[in-house]
Amino acid sequence: MEQNVLLSLSHISKRFKTELALRDISMTLSKGEILGFLGPSGSGKTTTIKIITGQLRQTTGEAKLLGTDSANIDASIYEKIGVVSDNSGIYEKMTVWQNLYLFARIWKVPRGRVEQVISQVGLAEHIKKPAGKLSKGQTQRLVLARAVLHKPRVLFLDEPTSGLDPSTAVAIHRMLLDLKEEGMAIFLTTHNMEEAAKLCDKVALLHEGEIVEFGPPQEICLKYNQIKKYHVLLNSNKDLVLEQNSENIGRIARWMEKDQIACIHSCEPTLETVFLEVTGKDLNI
Amino acid sequence: MKNMHKLAAVAQIKWLCISRNTMIMMGPVMVIAMVEGCKILYGSKSGGGLAPYLTGFLLNLGLSMNICCEGFVMVGTTIAEEKEKHTLRVLMTSSVTGVQYFIGTIIFPFLMLMAVNYIVLLIIGIPFEMIPALPFFLVSVTASLTSCVLGMIVGICAKDQMNASLIVTPFMMIFMLVPVFGNLSEGLHKISGFLFTGVMTGMTECLANGEKYVMTSVDAAVLFGELIISILVFLVLYKRNGYEKD
Repeated sequence: MEQNVLLSLSHISKRFKTELALRDISMTLSKGEILGFLGPSGSGKTTTIKIITGQLRQTTGEAKLLGTDSANIDASIYEKIGVVSDNSGIYEKMTVWQNLYLFARIWKVPRGRVEQVISQVGLAEHIKKPAGKLSKGQTQRLVLARAVLHKPRVLFLDEPTSGLDPSTAVAIHRMLLDLKEEGMAIFLTTHNMEEAAKLCDKVALLHEGEIVEFGPPQEICLKYNQIKKYHVLLNSNKDLVLEQNSENIGRIARWMEKDQIACIHSCEPTLETVFLEVTGKDLNI
Repeated sequence: MKNMHKLAAVAQIKWLCISRNTMIMMGPVMVIAMVEGCKILYGSKSGGGLAPYLTGFLLNLGLSMNICCEGFVMVGTTIAEEKEKHTLRVLMTSSVTGVQYFIGTIIFPFLMLMAVNYIVLLIIGIPFEMIPALPFFLVSVTASLTSCVLGMIVGICAKDQMNASLIVTPFMMIFMLVPVFGNLSEGLHKISGFLFTGVMTGMTECLANGEKYVMTSVDAAVLFGELIISILVFLVLYKRNGYEKD
């Protein structure tokens, strides 16, 4: 298990002048795992990625990426990781092919791999198009293609589906799950709770630079499922949310006997409601 | 060099960035067009040939403009553009080292500077046997290199292209205008002697007057001193924040 840990953070804190941006962050990421780092804008998600990838120095604590202390990272580590930042960072005047091929040259990746990745992300029809003329979804797919071109062991994604239409987001989700299957470890920051619940093996809820919850999404949700509730839709179109108590159980049983229930299901808290409960703040703010 | 492929890839990226930026590519074209235009204009007025002082002035103008416009602007603006479009961060997180980026960035602007220096000489019509091959090459290489390093400093300090244009202005005022107008004022002429572009124009004045150029120890000290100083300033700035401040 220990040898599968590709990334570990231990008591990381980061201070910018007077502001404490990160507070005592600890976590691990193993091979073939997707870790979601969730929090609203300004909660410290991008700062964490920058510290792990050696672009920023932490104030205290230790970050280890592929066994190397992030404070001592040199350029060679970037041959083993892929980074997709919140800004696309594409060469707009170059074609899709040039954008990928030039990075393939940097990583000594064969042309065949470039062609393979282009078709994987569905940009084969656009290889001669200047990258600046791609739609937002296509641009994001190009950025993702560039990040996985050299088959990195760890992939960092900063809000990869932010502002994308649902179908493109689904396509990217599918691709990420495929990469996970191949054994890639993925560190994903997002403020989209549905995305996190769907993709991540573990999530960390970040609030004002501090992890307020950490673990598998389902476990976190069940932990906060103290007051069990049921959503009941009656044949008469009456829509009810009932707490689990003896009175309501009796009501539900009677409705069932009389075949009056059109639809019934339990209401577990979502990551969004958990976040709201823990921090008192909405994630989308 | 172990990672030659990375250097080659960065140089190719930079070349594609430069060659597709019309504003930057206008620089060398303008230098050549201006020298050719002035030569035709002044030549027709003086019945064909150019007076030595006009030849000297045109040479000064052409070479100073070339060294300053291309070196400072071409290098500085492309780095600023990479910051603006966030591609610099992508490059630096793709296993390219600071040294590889440095060399990859200046290699094409440097070659273009050198080429345009010789083209300007050809346009002015100085006979090749008159040109002291080694000193001209040495002065041209050192001045072009210094100009590219100063361009790197502009790029490291600039946040975006607009900011780069602003930062480059005082550099242009000092390194281009002082040597060009050195002949008009004794004071400017003296100051010009302590600038690497001034050393270059001093040499071209000798060529225009049909005199033999001999590099003095002051010329050598100015040329190499300013190159070393600019490299040191660049290193200090780079050590502090890298190419991009967080």
